Amino acid sequence: MESTEGTPNLTPILDMVFQLITFFMLVINFKSASMDLTLRLPVVGSARPVDHQGEVDLLVLNINDKGDLNVYGIKKNIEEYIAGEAMTSRLTARRKGAKIEPGDELPTTVVIRADRSTPFYLLNRVILACQQNGFRNFALKAMNKEQS
Amino acid sequence: MSRLRKKRAHGDVELNLAAMLDMAFQLLTFFILTFKPAPVEGQVNLRLPPPAPIQSANATKDLGSDTSTNELPKGVKTLTITIFPNERGDLAALGIGEAPVSSLAALESKLKTIFSDPSNPFDQVILQVGKSLRYDELMRVVEVCTRQTLPDGHPLSKLSLVELPDGSK
Repeated sequence: MESTEGTPNLTPILDMVFQLITFFMLVINFKSASMDLTLRLPVVGSARPVDHQGEVDLLVLNINDKGDLNVYGIKKNIEEYIAGEAMTSRLTARRKGAKIEPGDELPTTVVIRADRSTPFYLLNRVILACQQNGFRNFALKAMNKEQS
Repeated sequence: MSRLRKKRAHGDVELNLAAMLDMAFQLLTFFILTFKPAPVEGQVNLRLPPPAPIQSANATKDLGSDTSTNELPKGVKTLTITIFPNERGDLAALGIGEAPVSSLAALESKLKTIFSDPSNPFDQVILQVGKSLRYDELMRVVEVCTRQTLPDGHPLSKLSLVELPDGSK
């Protein structure tokens, strides 16, 4: 028994594991945590992916077919949440040197991720709340082809 | 040099890689479990200002009251597109202004005609939408609108959404 004892060389396996870790670290995207992936987005052929490179402030709103607003999986009161985000956007813009008074247009883009079967009156409630708080720029999320 | 070599040979240190490998495997497990590739989503960028009140072109008193400018008051040049849904929330009927439009293709060709005329500088385009219209059906109309090019060469991206009152579905 003693003559066959040996120590395995762990260096190659460690190398391989580190390579895998590097791969996953590079491809992981924590932004997707803000997206409710249970929503079925509408299919719009002309919808194109846009990468803002982090230069544009985004407010992502997930709206399900019942008109509920979900933020990181938690249901929020639409009016209160949007008013709070508007205040944050205003303060952020002021910190960057912009002169924004209450009622002025906000620089943040509202990203609407709504379920395809959401009735318009529920969606419009969210859009109206955004407009009342000064948001004017919207990005309506859609798939450009049907997912299997 | 020889003395240095001797020292190294005597104090040979073997690194125990097992602990490091354990930690690396834990990290790898974390990344594998949290890895959820997000689908590539597209988007339609729009400017959605609240609709300005529509003024009637026949309201001559209001229109002529300001003699300091030759410009038409805002709201006079408004293009309204009306979208009526059926009971299931599908697109049932369309209209531009007072005129009915038979299909989305007809809407597109009418809009092309309207926006190719430089004498039609609309202040705003309003989509009047029935309450029960589904979001995917609305997006079909929005897509047609955003495909249009304004006389100044820019794509149409400024729309206002208005909910049709009860009774109009």
